[in-house]
Amino acid sequence: MSAVQEALPAIKGSRDATVRRFALTDTIFHAATRAAAILVLVLLGGVAISLFAGSWQALSTFGFSFLTTESWNPVTEKFGALAPIYGTIITSAVAILIAVPLGIGIAIFLTELCPRPLRRPIGMAVELLAGIPSIIYGIWGLFVLAPFLQTTVQPYIIWLFHGVPGLNNLFAGPPYGIGLLTSAMILAIMILPFITSITKDVFDTVPSVLKESAYGIGCTTWEVTRRVVIPYTRIGIMGGVMLALGRALGETMAVTFVIGNAHRISTSLFAPATTISATIANEFTEAVGDLYTSSLVALGLILFVITFLILAIARYMLMRIDARTGA
Amino acid sequence: MKPMLSTELNTPEAVVDKAKIEVKNLNFYYGQSKALKDISLSLPERSVTAFIGPSGCGKSTLLRVFNRIYELYPKQSAEGQVLLDGHNILDRSQDLNLLRTKIGMVFQKPTPFPMSIYENIAFGVRLYEKISKSEMDGRVEQALKRAALWTEVKDKLNASGLSLSGGQQQRLCIARTVAVKPEVILLDEPASALDPLSTAKIEELIDELQADYTIVIVTHNMQQAARVSRQTAFMYLGELVEFDRTEKIFTSPREKRTQDYITGRFG
Amino acid sequence: MMTLCVVAAGIGLAWLALILGALVYKGLSGVSLAVFTEMTPPPGDAGGLLNAIYGSVVMTIIAVIVGTPIGVLAGTYMAEYGRFSKLTTIVRFINDILLSAPSIIIGLFVYELMVRPMGHFSAIAGAVALAILVIPVVVRTTEDMLNLVPNALREAGTAIGAPRWVVIKSVAYRAALSGIVTGILLAIARISGETAPLLFTALNNQFWSSNLNAPMASLPVTIFQFALSPYEEWQQLAWTGALIITLTVLGLSIFARSLTGRREDR
Repeated sequence: MSAVQEALPAIKGSRDATVRRFALTDTIFHAATRAAAILVLVLLGGVAISLFAGSWQALSTFGFSFLTTESWNPVTEKFGALAPIYGTIITSAVAILIAVPLGIGIAIFLTELCPRPLRRPIGMAVELLAGIPSIIYGIWGLFVLAPFLQTTVQPYIIWLFHGVPGLNNLFAGPPYGIGLLTSAMILAIMILPFITSITKDVFDTVPSVLKESAYGIGCTTWEVTRRVVIPYTRIGIMGGVMLALGRALGETMAVTFVIGNAHRISTSLFAPATTISATIANEFTEAVGDLYTSSLVALGLILFVITFLILAIARYMLMRIDARTGA
Repeated sequence: MKPMLSTELNTPEAVVDKAKIEVKNLNFYYGQSKALKDISLSLPERSVTAFIGPSGCGKSTLLRVFNRIYELYPKQSAEGQVLLDGHNILDRSQDLNLLRTKIGMVFQKPTPFPMSIYENIAFGVRLYEKISKSEMDGRVEQALKRAALWTEVKDKLNASGLSLSGGQQQRLCIARTVAVKPEVILLDEPASALDPLSTAKIEELIDELQADYTIVIVTHNMQQAARVSRQTAFMYLGELVEFDRTEKIFTSPREKRTQDYITGRFG
Repeated sequence: MMTLCVVAAGIGLAWLALILGALVYKGLSGVSLAVFTEMTPPPGDAGGLLNAIYGSVVMTIIAVIVGTPIGVLAGTYMAEYGRFSKLTTIVRFINDILLSAPSIIIGLFVYELMVRPMGHFSAIAGAVALAILVIPVVVRTTEDMLNLVPNALREAGTAIGAPRWVVIKSVAYRAALSGIVTGILLAIARISGETAPLLFTALNNQFWSSNLNAPMASLPVTIFQFALSPYEEWQQLAWTGALIITLTVLGLSIFARSLTGRREDR
């Protein structure tokens, strides 16, 4: 039986050598690709570790109060992250409030209403705009949007809501042009193509049978969209919105131009403020002293943790919709 | 040392030729589920054997064991023995690439590589043989002639393999397989994606190739099996129901299930 | 209600058109030969963007040379050797997060990794930061494009006796080539406008420098600095630089898309 168990012998000696060489190359190539894949994990791990190490001095000096202190004073070396965190959250939240309805509206327009010949060019334009560097939006915000808001829109709104409880605090003067609202608007226009293209993609996953049967029982376009398309794609849209939120939270250049860089918490959307990324971008190279630098890295760590969580949730949601369409 | 397995049931009486492939007690698993149940049969050298049966019966699975192509995917495993000229190819120490140079395979859909017609054929030859350009030209021509494609493509050897028609692409795939000089050729429903004319050409080709190669063909087309094969195996639900000379299977099968299948009562 | 969607589309598209319009209007008036032949000027003087353009090109090239092989290899693992492994699922998840992680964080990472130990800012640190941005884009597209290669083609390559690496190199890569190139071009488009990761890695340089171990100017950082300055000449150069970047990015994206577009037609 032993002869039977034996493997097939090689035909020629040279073939034998080739076979060995092939096996070796395959092992090496396999190992190289695997190492590269692991490197991706190492990169993210490295980011986390280096941020943690760099911010250790600030975190150990200020402890938990770093998160709850508003003051940011390089002279007395008292640093707190509350103002940048506040600015980051407010600008991103307002940006989402503006961009989500617009983005979904455009997506509905593109998938349901737009004349067919225009669909591809407009869809393509939207995707191309998603790739325009943020510094472009920033420079436009600083030179075009801010002066416009300062001279026309803001004085009018301040006058309009003057004396209206609540709103008069939200839109309190003086009109600087730059500030929270301007930043939020710039962020909104930046993430708009992004939301549109993801929403459009998930809308396309709706089986046409589903839509056709709804049309078949006499539903209008709006009813089909509201009762079939949006419920079907809810998770995907949420995922897209979270992804856009993650982008807005971490966006640096567009905001840095128009936020005003003021470490202050103000109830007015017209007031200059700062965000985590804008603070880092503006102050990092000028920071004197280890504690100052470490505090800035600590801000980076906070941003990293927040965006990591948001993006992880977003990816989880988008994975769920992928799994469904894949099945 | 002839094994005392119950092969007499599974070896067509008329077939006295030397067995090229002997399958002994083969089981195959997709994860937990058993796809082949205790298969034993022996395939004679230089003749065409057809595997038929309803879809999901395991005929393709059995074919894919012969060159161990299933190992590209996880959770698929075979146990038992498959002997090629008396050597167990399921042995762990068997080099898979070498095995596949001896046992070639042609697939259901034509799969030309994304390269020129010439390169499609030279690709496999170049792997294990260091030959000169003129020798290679000869090999390519010989292979294309063997696959009855030479006259159609000899003036455009540098055109992409994808530029050919479906039937031509499939013959290119056969030429590619023949070029590396295998001993066995496995054909997995080679004509199911082709038009009747191309199918006839492929069948003609199979008939010619059996002079030099041991050929195993999986087909869902019973007429095709009847036309091209010398012996036929009928499989059902992972079992080998009957294996005999083709005319016997199609005229007086032993088993009722075979009878039902070839008369179209199920499957 | 559907009218509102049309209005939304109108507002969105008009808004975007407004930005591009302003960019072309303000940027175009500053375009001259000097922009491409002269160094960045001191405040109040006329000059060009030569050293900044040079710096951007150099750092982008290094980033692509460093990042692309790593990205392609990792994507290859995910679609080929490790297609069914748990590692692939994890790497895909982490890579997707890396793909949309704030680029300023990458800047901080490279600062801690290279600038602080070396004791000074350098072009090479900037290039590494950009390379880290290239990797996830290339990983993603490589994996996606290889996954589109039909398994039948892999089986055919394997069935002829080719070892796995030859099947990948000669069959899978060839079939996925235009898609992978698209990914690389999109990655270049992405990093050519990145500012935040360069701010504290490559920093900036008022003068011509080809020393990779020293600070180097780049177009985006120069735009940032000039736009926020009170000098009119600088602001004009910032607009012109912004126009150059936008056209580059749009050009790359359109070219990249036309590559895959043609593939789909075939």
